[in-house]
Amino acid sequence: MKINITGIGIISAIGLNVQENFQSLQTKTSGIKNNTNFSEKRNLLLGQVTLSNKELIHLLNVNTPISRTSLLGLVAAKEAWGNNQIHQSIRTGIISSTSVGGMDRSEEYYKNKIEGNDADISLIVTHDNGNTTEKIATSLGISGYVNTLSTACSSAANAIMLGARLIQQNKLDRVLVGGVDSLTNFTIEGFKSLMIYDDEWVKPFDQNRKGLNLGEGAGFLLLENEKSIEQTNNKPLAELTGWSNASDAYHQTASSPDGKGATKAIRDALNMAKLNPEEVSYVNAHGTGTPNNDLSESVALKNIFKTKIPPFSSTKAYTGHTLAASGAIEAVFSVLALQYNVIFPNLNFTTPITETQLEPEIEYVTNKQVNIVLSNSFGFGGNNSTLIFKKL
Amino acid sequence: MYFINACSTISHQHSFQNEEWIMHLKSLNNNSTLVSPEYKNFIDGGSLRRMSEILRMGLACSKDCITQSGINNPDAIIVGTGLGCLTDTEKFLKNAITIKGLIPPTSFIQSTHNTIAGQISLTLKNYNYNMTHTQNSVSFEHALIDAMLSLNESKSNVLVGAADEKIDFMEELARELHFSEIENKLTSGASFFILSNSQNSTTKAKLVDSCAIGLNAAPNEEVVANFLKNNHLLLSDVDLVLFSTYGTQKTEEVNKLFHPIPILSIEDYSGYHFTTAAFGMHLATEILNQKDNFLISNTTPIKKILVYNNLGNKSIGLTLLQSIEA
Repeated sequence: MKINITGIGIISAIGLNVQENFQSLQTKTSGIKNNTNFSEKRNLLLGQVTLSNKELIHLLNVNTPISRTSLLGLVAAKEAWGNNQIHQSIRTGIISSTSVGGMDRSEEYYKNKIEGNDADISLIVTHDNGNTTEKIATSLGISGYVNTLSTACSSAANAIMLGARLIQQNKLDRVLVGGVDSLTNFTIEGFKSLMIYDDEWVKPFDQNRKGLNLGEGAGFLLLENEKSIEQTNNKPLAELTGWSNASDAYHQTASSPDGKGATKAIRDALNMAKLNPEEVSYVNAHGTGTPNNDLSESVALKNIFKTKIPPFSSTKAYTGHTLAASGAIEAVFSVLALQYNVIFPNLNFTTPITETQLEPEIEYVTNKQVNIVLSNSFGFGGNNSTLIFKKL
Repeated sequence: MYFINACSTISHQHSFQNEEWIMHLKSLNNNSTLVSPEYKNFIDGGSLRRMSEILRMGLACSKDCITQSGINNPDAIIVGTGLGCLTDTEKFLKNAITIKGLIPPTSFIQSTHNTIAGQISLTLKNYNYNMTHTQNSVSFEHALIDAMLSLNESKSNVLVGAADEKIDFMEELARELHFSEIENKLTSGASFFILSNSQNSTTKAKLVDSCAIGLNAAPNEEVVANFLKNNHLLLSDVDLVLFSTYGTQKTEEVNKLFHPIPILSIEDYSGYHFTTAAFGMHLATEILNQKDNFLISNTTPIKKILVYNNLGNKSIGLTLLQSIEA
C-alpha cells in the first residue's frame, strides 16, 4: 500500500506557511532571536512565531479559551488540509502530537493564582493534549479517528508513522498527521534546569555546541491512499516508504553513547523501505545542538553509513527546537528537499566533533539529485524515530 | 482475535496480584483510598524515591504482567494516559514560577507524558516500539488499537496499558467547574495487559476489537451497532455491558441504549479518571474468566462483554471481549 503525501503545512519562527519557510531556508535566514514575549528572560534566544495570540485568534476566527498550541496547530493543519472536503466514502482521521498541550494557558492560570491575582480557571480546560487536537479537528470538520501522541521530541514523527500504519492496514483512507508545541516558561525553565540551553545561537554538530535554543511551531502532512486520491484528485508530493520507532533504553533524558536506539530506528526504517544506506540522498538530522544528542546521533550515522556518510544537516538553527512539532516540520522540509532537489544548510557549523569528525552540509545545495530523504527525531525517554521519504 | 495473556491493576480495589479480587469488589465511597502494593518489591529504592504515583503504578503493573506471562521482552510497549504525569508537572510548574535561579530538573524530566512508557523500557531494557497516546477519555482505547495494529504487523506480544493520577488541584477544579458529582470520587489507577497473537496456558480472555470515535455526531446507538456489525455481531450477542459515563442522566441513557442487557458502572468500582476503560477491560476479563459470576444475577453464562466508554461527552470508546471458550 502506497502512502502518498498530498498536503503540507508549517508555521514556525522562519515563516507562517510552507513558502515562507522554504524562502528562509534558501536565504539562510534564521528565526532565532532575542525573546520578546517572556518578560523575565530578556536575553534568551528563542525561535518565536511572529504572530501574537490575539493576531492568531483574529486570523483563524476561533472561539476562546484556546491554547497557543491549538492556534499554531490550526494554522499548519489548515495549510496541509487545503481545500479538501469531508466525504462519506473517504475514511478520514487526524493524529496530532504535542508535549506541552495547553501548558501556555495553564501556567498563566497558576502564575496568577500563586501571585494572588484573578485567575481564570476556564483556561485549564485547554490543558490536556487531546483538547489541542479536538480544537483542530473541529475546525476542519474531522471526526472519528481523532488521536494525540506524546513522546516528547519524537512525537510528530510518531504521529506520521501511526497515520501511515492505519492507511497500510486499511483502517483509514486519508489522515492528517503532525505535531505542535508552543513556547512556554515551563519548557524554557525545564531545559535550563538540565543545563542544555545555549545562551548563544545553537550550533548543531559543532565541537563547541553547548545546547539547544527552543522554538515553537507546527507541521502537518496529509497522507492518502490510492483510493482516496482517485476521489480527491490530489497530486502526490512525495511518498513515505519507511518508518521505525525504537527505544534507546539507556537513560530517561540522555541518549546512549553508542547510539543504540537511534541506530536501530535508522536500520529498521531502511530495511522497511528496502533501501541500502548508500541510496539515501540526504539526512535531515535531529541535531538539537546538545552535546549529548549530536554525539550520539553522529555515532549512529557512522554505525549505519560507515565511511560513506550522505549529506546531512540539522535545521534547528533556523527554527529552534520545536519539540513535539519538530518531526513534522522537518518532514515537510524533507518533502521540499525531494520536490526541489535541494539540501538545506546546517547553520553555525565550523569545527567537527572530535570523536566522530562528521561535517554537515553548510551550503544551500541545488545541483544534486535528491531521491531519498531520511529524517530523524529523538526524544526523552529514549524514544527514537526515523522516517524515509521518496521522490515520486 | 487477540489474546489477553496477563492483566494487572492498581486501583481502589484489592486488585493487585490478587486473583480473586472481583469477589471482593466494593462500590467506592468518599473515604476509599488507592490500594498500593509494596513498591520496593518492584522498583529499586533510589528510583522509587523520586517517582510519582503514576510512575510507580505503571512500573509495578508492567512488571507484574511480565511475571504472569513469562514474556520478558515484549515486542512493543504502548501506554495510554489522559493527563500524564500531573504530580511532576504541577511541581515543576510551581517551581518555575516561584524559584528564581536554578531549579532541580527531576520533576521536569518526569513530567513528560511518555515518562511511564520510557521508564518501563528502561527497566526492562527493551529496545522495541514505545508509544504514548494522550486522547483524554479514550487514551486507553487508542493504545489498545495501536497494540492491535502491532500484532497485525506480526509482532507476537505487546505490553499495553493505561495510567492516570489524581492531584488535589483536580478536586478544586471539579468544584469550580461544577462537576460536583465526581468531586469526591476522583481517583488514580493503572491497568496493564499482555496482549498476544496466540493463546497459551496463561490466556484469560480474548479481545475481539476496540475502537475510539472522537467528536462523534452520530447517535450512540448507531455507533454501537456499527461496531458490532463490523465484528459480525448483533447487540443481542452481548451478555453484559460495563460502562463509563458521568452523571445520573447519562446512566439512564445507557440503560435505555442496552436494555435488556445487564449493565454495570465501571466508575462505581474505579472512581473517576480518564482511563477507567482499562480498569473496565481488566474487570471484564476476570468476569469472563470466572465460572460463577458474583456481580450480576444472570443465569446465562457470560461469554461476551462490551466495555462502553462514554466518559467524555464527545468521544466513545468501545471494546469487545470474549471468553476463551466462546
